[in-house]
Amino acid sequence: MLAENYTQEIEAILAKYPSDQKRSAVMPLLFLAQREYGTLTNEAITEVGELIGLQTTEVASLVGFYSLYHDRPGGKYRIQVCTDLPCALKGAQAFADELCEKLDIEMGETTPDGQVTIEQVMCLAACDRAPLFQLQGPNGFRYHEDQSIGSAMALIESLRVRGQVDRAHRLTAS
Amino acid sequence: MNPLELLRGLATTLSMMFERPVTYQYPEIKRPVRERFKGRHELKRYDNGLEKCIGCSLCAAACPADAIFVESAENTDEERYSPGERYASTYEINMLRCIFCGYCEDACPTEAIVLEHNYELSFTNRRDAIYTRDMLLVPAPEHGRPTPMVTAPREFDRSIPEMADPQ
Amino acid sequence: MSVTLTIDGTEVTVPEGTLLVDAAKRRGTDVPVFCYHPKMKPVGMCRVCLVEIGRPARDRATGESLLDESGDPLIQFGPNLETACTITVGQGWQVRVSSEKAIQGRKEIVEYLLTSHPLDCPICDKGGECPLQDLTMGHGSGESRFLFDDKIRLAKRYPLGELIFLDRERCIQCARCTRFQDEIVGDPVIGFYERGRRLEIVTYSDPGFDSYFSGNTTDICPVGALTTADFRFGARPWELNSAASICPHCPVGCNLTLSTRREASNAGRDVVKRVMPRQNEQVNEIWICDKGRFVHHYARSPERLTSPRVRKNGKLVKASWNEALTRAAEGLKGAASSAVGIASGRLMNEDLFNLKELMAALGGRAILVDSMAGGNLIQRYGVGVGSNLGSLGKRDAVLVIAADLHEEAPIWWLRLKQAAERGTTLIVANARATRLDDYAKHRVRYGPGEAVQAALGLLHLNGGDPELARFEGDRALKSAARAIKRARNVTIFFGQEGLNYAGTEALARACALITESKGRVGKSNNGLVAVWPRANTQGAWDMGLRPEPAGLHRALAGAVAAYIVAADPVGDDPAAAAPFEKLSTLIVQDLFLTATAELADVVLPAQAFVERAGTFTSGERRVQRLYPAVGALAGSLPDWKIVANLAHRLEVDLEDKAAPLVFERIAAAVPDYLGLSYDDLAAVEPQWPEVGGADLYFGGTAYANKQGLGVQLAPRGAGRPLKWKAPPRASAGKDLLLTPVTVLYDRGSALRHSRLLEGRIAPLQLILHPDEIERLGLSEAGEVEISWDGRSERLKFAASTDVPPGSALVPRGAGLALSDPTPVTVRRSNS
Repeated sequence: MLAENYTQEIEAILAKYPSDQKRSAVMPLLFLAQREYGTLTNEAITEVGELIGLQTTEVASLVGFYSLYHDRPGGKYRIQVCTDLPCALKGAQAFADELCEKLDIEMGETTPDGQVTIEQVMCLAACDRAPLFQLQGPNGFRYHEDQSIGSAMALIESLRVRGQVDRAHRLTAS
Repeated sequence: MNPLELLRGLATTLSMMFERPVTYQYPEIKRPVRERFKGRHELKRYDNGLEKCIGCSLCAAACPADAIFVESAENTDEERYSPGERYASTYEINMLRCIFCGYCEDACPTEAIVLEHNYELSFTNRRDAIYTRDMLLVPAPEHGRPTPMVTAPREFDRSIPEMADPQ
Repeated sequence: MSVTLTIDGTEVTVPEGTLLVDAAKRRGTDVPVFCYHPKMKPVGMCRVCLVEIGRPARDRATGESLLDESGDPLIQFGPNLETACTITVGQGWQVRVSSEKAIQGRKEIVEYLLTSHPLDCPICDKGGECPLQDLTMGHGSGESRFLFDDKIRLAKRYPLGELIFLDRERCIQCARCTRFQDEIVGDPVIGFYERGRRLEIVTYSDPGFDSYFSGNTTDICPVGALTTADFRFGARPWELNSAASICPHCPVGCNLTLSTRREASNAGRDVVKRVMPRQNEQVNEIWICDKGRFVHHYARSPERLTSPRVRKNGKLVKASWNEALTRAAEGLKGAASSAVGIASGRLMNEDLFNLKELMAALGGRAILVDSMAGGNLIQRYGVGVGSNLGSLGKRDAVLVIAADLHEEAPIWWLRLKQAAERGTTLIVANARATRLDDYAKHRVRYGPGEAVQAALGLLHLNGGDPELARFEGDRALKSAARAIKRARNVTIFFGQEGLNYAGTEALARACALITESKGRVGKSNNGLVAVWPRANTQGAWDMGLRPEPAGLHRALAGAVAAYIVAADPVGDDPAAAAPFEKLSTLIVQDLFLTATAELADVVLPAQAFVERAGTFTSGERRVQRLYPAVGALAGSLPDWKIVANLAHRLEVDLEDKAAPLVFERIAAAVPDYLGLSYDDLAAVEPQWPEVGGADLYFGGTAYANKQGLGVQLAPRGAGRPLKWKAPPRASAGKDLLLTPVTVLYDRGSALRHSRLLEGRIAPLQLILHPDEIERLGLSEAGEVEISWDGRSERLKFAASTDVPPGSALVPRGAGLALSDPTPVTVRRSNS
């Protein structure tokens, strides 16, 4: 239970907003819940809603809207490929399909070793650098732009190597 | 009167006696109808036995004689009559009203209703003139099953199963 | 301030702040819309309302208008099309709705919307009254440049609960439904999930789509994405006939249109296929609640009575009308002035008038079973002519006391909520928290059953008797009283929650006196509204029926014969059967063989509202007409006719030919109805927004009102001075005050016979405060035993922190035979 285990954090988050605008705290509270539970289950969403007086449906809408919230379990790393129209015109859809094929998983699935999940997301606001994806992992998230299958697979391989996670991030960021 | 003309007339009569008669001995012998003849309606099925009719009532709306009456209901995978969600639970045509114009055929989005070649419609009272769904539906084809049938989930969840690009 | 602009070459003058799309509509130009709805804030999501806008050019330096060569203001058109639904009008603008550029723009939007819309119009319930279908015909291109095979395939049958179904493919993401639930109803139980093409509507509530107004979303959905379980694949819209009616389930009096068609299942006779709202901006606007929409099935129940019954050798057997009426007449004749007529506010004015006349001729009494007082005060202090909750504004105040409008009269709740959002001062006084509290400026809490004390406190602070000083309450009460004093107009809704008959009498008086305090009586948007338990309780008071303050058993004491119409006192309380069994003749007239009918000597089958012509008088005292929608069930007759036929056998002259003729007699005899006629009630006038015309995309599929807006009766005025009444003394010494609270979905005969809402009927359980549960030492899943007046009952229980201390709640009409708040002893059930 968030309310019991994170009383102070929740109070600190709520304190940032006017007392009659508690609903504004929904985003940081969702991050808190996601950190605690890993994924935002219905129970977690309901809990956050109860903290700030929102309907479960309203909170779930936000979870569905933002790609940084996850209501489905996934791998250690999430590779979120934008396949919106401009990206698709630059080959993002084909890129995403091929990536799945290479990893032998369906879109939205996780590799059997539990390391990587491939997801399709809406606009990541970097259409000029498509195909691109957003990599989310234990160390935060980062954009990987102008990707090819080769570069993506190389990244995934590096992610799979235990202990090289941080280096992989630094390498691709530079 | 010119006797010659009389003879010419009789000659015509005589020559006709050797021609084949044009009269058909109906009902022993039935004259074939043209391909596009519009006779009694039939409700068609797909090859697997599912009914083509989806109960949309457009035939009833198109009917200038108000002869068609349709009621629809929802299909389930346990009790499926037609592809998609909707089927005709009641389908009646009043043959006394029907003028065989074929508008129903034109209106049908699934080519379910077809005016076929049967023209032998007779009844002894008005009630018999109302052809019901069971009378209008053709029997299930050889390799198909009769309706209602149990189908696999999501196999037939669309009304117009594999319709090509309707350009 | 008004603004003049030119739309497609015609000048139009509208108030400042009007949206361009509305301005065009008022001029008669249709700008197509999908996401815009005149009852909601614009969002500009669908982009179909594109127009060209030319604004007067100004000199950037001086700010002065530029002129063209001929001296007229120079008009500059923007490079792009703009959405007419999000832009408010400006002085001197030139707007082109039907220019080539605008038409091309709309054409492209429609083509875009159709890229992934399924082509299943033939099986779509909206097909035929579908804005997308209509606008595709009007604005779409015949061919699509997109590939049919690339259409997205999504779930076709996705229940958002058992009442509303979603077809995910058909949704065009206009957000009308989610905005309706959020903005208008304040129940955001459906929402958008995901983004872009993957966007879908979801609900996480339990039960799904948990709102009393969910059906309205299907009316405003511009495509067939949302359909009701009731009408799903029921009929094509063009096959439907429609009849105007009035909802018979609560005192709001929502205007309805009943859509009917002939059905094989009813041997080729008409059947009500759906219930739709009919626009009446002064009553229900274009909304109705789900009870009104889905509960009509009881009228077609196979359990309806189809022939009279007469008791022979101790058994009820079918009989002819002649035999039954003769038997009933003999019974009433023998009883004469010892006959009692008992009826409820479920009946129409015509029925009640005839019944009252019959009882008057016999010298007997006509009694109303609805045990709530104040109908006579409403006649004097009711809301003035022209009162309209939709017109309440910033300087007005509304007091709601001892009522839970969300459960008792949902559309009043909705309209008061909206009034509060417009700035009306809403004061909610109740012993417990109700859903209207969220919108109230002042919340007054009083002890269980102490509504009268609170009302007298408000009265005291509004210039009442100094003797009332002892009722002066807490700060919340005082600030509420000041708000009432300051307000320009004050409307008071009073209910019966936590009160017995004497309590409602005292409450009605106190409330009437509050409205009198600043000479508000008779003015529009001022006065008293009773939250009656039934649709026509006010009409029953107007026709001269009165409740028996001491209860039905008192009315029956000394009675020889009783004639019970549309009431089931034994069903409500099986312990009340004894006095009915003692009568020498009991005549029951109803739709069903009720528990009371089973005791009767004569049972007479009546007709349901869908089969009837007649009138209801709403809580706001608006007399409204019902028209018959379907043929009557064979063997049944309208109530007024049965009463008249019975009267003839007793040589009493009553109108038996037609409902309008009965109403003529009402109009000649009943003071407030003098001179009224069915024609007056059928009068209509133009309403805004326009709905139900050829432009379904604008307001939705609610029906236009062509059959009458009704007539609001004028209150008679204060007249002789009214004296306040002290609150009835509470009986103490027991554990808890058990208070029945009204719930929308109760176990009444209407709901019991309509399978659709079955899952939502409130369960019979005692609702206790968690502290109370702890004090009583109750375990989580156990039962409790409650006892009162030598009776006892075992019930399940539930916890709620809304229960006021010292009391327990139970849903009214859920099965516990208790209508007044009663002190009870509660203890843990042994076993």
